[in-house]
Amino acid sequence: MFEIQMVEPGQVRLSGRLDAAEAERTHAELGQVDGPLTVDCSELTYISSAGISVLMEIHKRLTKAGQAFILTGMTPRVRNVFRYAGLDRVLRIE
Amino acid sequence: LKVAWANPLGAGSIIRLAAWGGEDMRLELAGPWSRGPVRETAMTERRFRRNFESLASIVAFVNEFFAAHGIRAEQANDVNLIIEELFTNMVKYSRESREDVAVGLEWNAPVITLKLEDFGVEPFDVTQPPPIDAAAKPGGLGLQLVQRMAESLDYRWANRVSTITATKRLDV
Repeated sequence: MFEIQMVEPGQVRLSGRLDAAEAERTHAELGQVDGPLTVDCSELTYISSAGISVLMEIHKRLTKAGQAFILTGMTPRVRNVFRYAGLDRVLRIE
Repeated sequence: LKVAWANPLGAGSIIRLAAWGGEDMRLELAGPWSRGPVRETAMTERRFRRNFESLASIVAFVNEFFAAHGIRAEQANDVNLIIEELFTNMVKYSRESREDVAVGLEWNAPVITLKLEDFGVEPFDVTQPPPIDAAAKPGGLGLQLVQRMAESLDYRWANRVSTITATKRLDV
């Protein structure tokens, strides 16, 4: 079960499992955001490379446009996946 | 059932089969050549349609296996991740096949062995080192994750069947 909640403008909460089956929907919902974006990952229980790729794509697009892209509240397990991917130093994770 | 003997049995060998049956089969061999019973836990295997929608069924399969073997559920994340990356790789890059993919699990505490078999496909060796800019290449990031998370990773291809075997040590 995966959910995307728009908490307020510029703030999104992801919860559940962001796997390859949910990556396309995530891309469709977040791919249009053109302002600064903070993603609350505190309820994200799982992420695979497909989910990371979507977040990386948003990161590249927003930072290129001079907008902030921040990931917050990751559980250690989810953060570990970013670390294994070598992206914990590329993305802004708070 | 196929039984392959690594060493021929000597004269007078006694084989006792016990606790046999069900999907999660256990084969126990005991004989005068061993100091005690030798236990082999057979792989629990299931087949899944080659599409991303199968991921939910695979997660359910893994959770069921963990529960059946008394493995803590929070340990399943890494196992699910390794399987997802290998499975989606097969779905995305072995488009010539329409066969289901077989996923097998075997528990020999504290190591879990995962086996994925892809039928009717060309070779795709997942043990090759990922490119430097892994995320930019097909399957690169996923395979990089698998290679870092699994303790071992083996790839074989024969008769148009790709077989990937990975092991992962769990905290028990």
